Amino acid sequence: MQSNAATTDHAVPPTPWRSFWNAFSENRGAVIGLAVVVFISLLALFAPVLAPYDPLEQIKGATRLPPFWSDGADPRFLLGTDAVGRDMLSRLMYGARISLFIGLSVMAVSMVVGVALGLAAAWFGGLLDVVIIRVMDLIVAIPSLVLAILIIAIIGPNLTNTIIAVTLVYLPRYVRLVRASALVELSKDYVTAAKVSGVGPWRLMTTTVLPNCLAPLIVQGALGVSDAILEAAGLGFLGLGAQPPTPEWGAMLADTRDLMMSHPWVMALPGLCILVTVMAINLMGDGLRDALDPRLRKS
Amino acid sequence: MIYFLFKRLALTVPTFIALMFITFVMIRLVPGDPVEARRGERGISPERHAELLKEMGLDQPVWKQFIDYSGGILQGDFGTSIVSKTPILHEFITLFPATLELTFFAMLFATLIGIPAGVFAAARRGGIYDQSLMGVALAGYSMPLFWWGLILILLMSNTLGLTPVSGRVDLIKYFYPPVTGFALIDSLLSDQKGAFKDALHHLILPSIVLGTVPLAVIARMTRSSMLEVLEEDYVRTARAKGLSAWRVIGVHALRNALIPVVTSIGLQVGTLLAGAVLTESIFSWPGVGKWLVESIGRRDYPALQGGIMLIAACVIVVNLIVDLLYGLINPRIRHAK
Repeated sequence: MQSNAATTDHAVPPTPWRSFWNAFSENRGAVIGLAVVVFISLLALFAPVLAPYDPLEQIKGATRLPPFWSDGADPRFLLGTDAVGRDMLSRLMYGARISLFIGLSVMAVSMVVGVALGLAAAWFGGLLDVVIIRVMDLIVAIPSLVLAILIIAIIGPNLTNTIIAVTLVYLPRYVRLVRASALVELSKDYVTAAKVSGVGPWRLMTTTVLPNCLAPLIVQGALGVSDAILEAAGLGFLGLGAQPPTPEWGAMLADTRDLMMSHPWVMALPGLCILVTVMAINLMGDGLRDALDPRLRKS
Repeated sequence: MIYFLFKRLALTVPTFIALMFITFVMIRLVPGDPVEARRGERGISPERHAELLKEMGLDQPVWKQFIDYSGGILQGDFGTSIVSKTPILHEFITLFPATLELTFFAMLFATLIGIPAGVFAAARRGGIYDQSLMGVALAGYSMPLFWWGLILILLMSNTLGLTPVSGRVDLIKYFYPPVTGFALIDSLLSDQKGAFKDALHHLILPSIVLGTVPLAVIARMTRSSMLEVLEEDYVRTARAKGLSAWRVIGVHALRNALIPVVTSIGLQVGTLLAGAVLTESIFSWPGVGKWLVESIGRRDYPALQGGIMLIAACVIVVNLIVDLLYGLINPRIRHAK
């Protein structure tokens, strides 16, 4: 008896955060991804303090300077300057702000709208469910970039509209996910118990069902940020996203196509930033999926 | 099977109607009416304006316009381009083979490399090959296509001089009539020495760029599907019989592991038709994607409307075919209610 009591003393169940972190940190790639994401977020957050120049300032006599590792570099401009003499490092830092802002806004809006529509479809069922699901199917049937282009063609190219277009394109994933998990949860006994004890529909859906659908939703949200960044950069590259002189990575790339042969770094750097950011978020997202949702785990 | 076929066909009908509705509404949401968009810098008199509106059927009530529009589409009339004054369907059919050719080779590239890579990774699970392959696949999956295309042009074309920078064929050296619209077939038919090789050279870089994301997806998917199958009892039986490791993997496991991979390859084709928008823009590939982007620049809304309708229709049809094939391979899906 005594030894039994002693073991129960030791076996304090870890807090949810603790057990999540244990599972997450097992995955080396995920931790690296997280570290890179934190680093880029800090750069973005403190860009006004850290950036050596104003991203829009054109410095006279300093056009097309190479980055520090090549000959003829100017120590004032670590990563060189672009065609009109703007500091690349500063523009890339502010670009991180814009890309992360787009990614996070798209994720936040899709999450809120997706949860609302998904829960409504699951709870009310019937005609509302059919209409919501059919509309989502239709959005999926149109290729994502084509749909985004179509929306931009109607509402015009700028940063806000990029967010709107990309959100609409990725909305079906969230709606379908929330609806599917909510339907599974709704059929479980604890929901019936809550219903019997007189919990109203609003409270039932938001405080009883929703928390149990969160794990896959968080994973989708993380991966959704990287997809949104890529899609927005693609639109920027086509000239349909953020407009120059905004230092958006995709638009910066499009700007430099003429310079590509003679000054390759001006083109290479923004793309590298997109690649590293998206890769880090994907690594982190894969780790989140493994840690949060063992069902989704791909061996 | 017939029941399954009809059920799937019936499901696409509402999708098509909704698609027509959306493209119809879209053109009416664009600021200014089509007459204003066409008249250019010079103004026109209100009488002429009304006359043109009537000519285009825009004085009718909206519901009647929609019925006319849908009726036109059912008869293959997708409208007329404002800029070139040719029917949209005609323009689309001229350009579509270029996109199809590119998509086909991108998919070929992705499949031929992706499946073996995934199989090897699964067979050597956790090893250095597996880990580096998954790292590369993640990079491919996260790649901004437009940047990847430019980097490849820079490396392969400008520095090494291996591949041409843009277009489908060297127009200065070779000319052949577009018989089928597929550069490879037309160049063969033309009997010009070197034309075929040149067309093939032009295909390499765009196919690699467009095939990168599917390659990553296919490699990851083959690996995980293979790992799952390798746990099955019949694989253990095959091993116990004393079959060689590669025979077990190549013959027994691969067949079943490929079912989900084949589906995903099919579904990727739809995505690729659209992904071609960026790739075609980078390589000046005269396909549907480039045409759509240019239509936006020219404010050619009918072209945009018809083009999007047609591309979406292609995607729906491709996905339908994939679904049907899947039902054919996998009886469990066919009979599921």
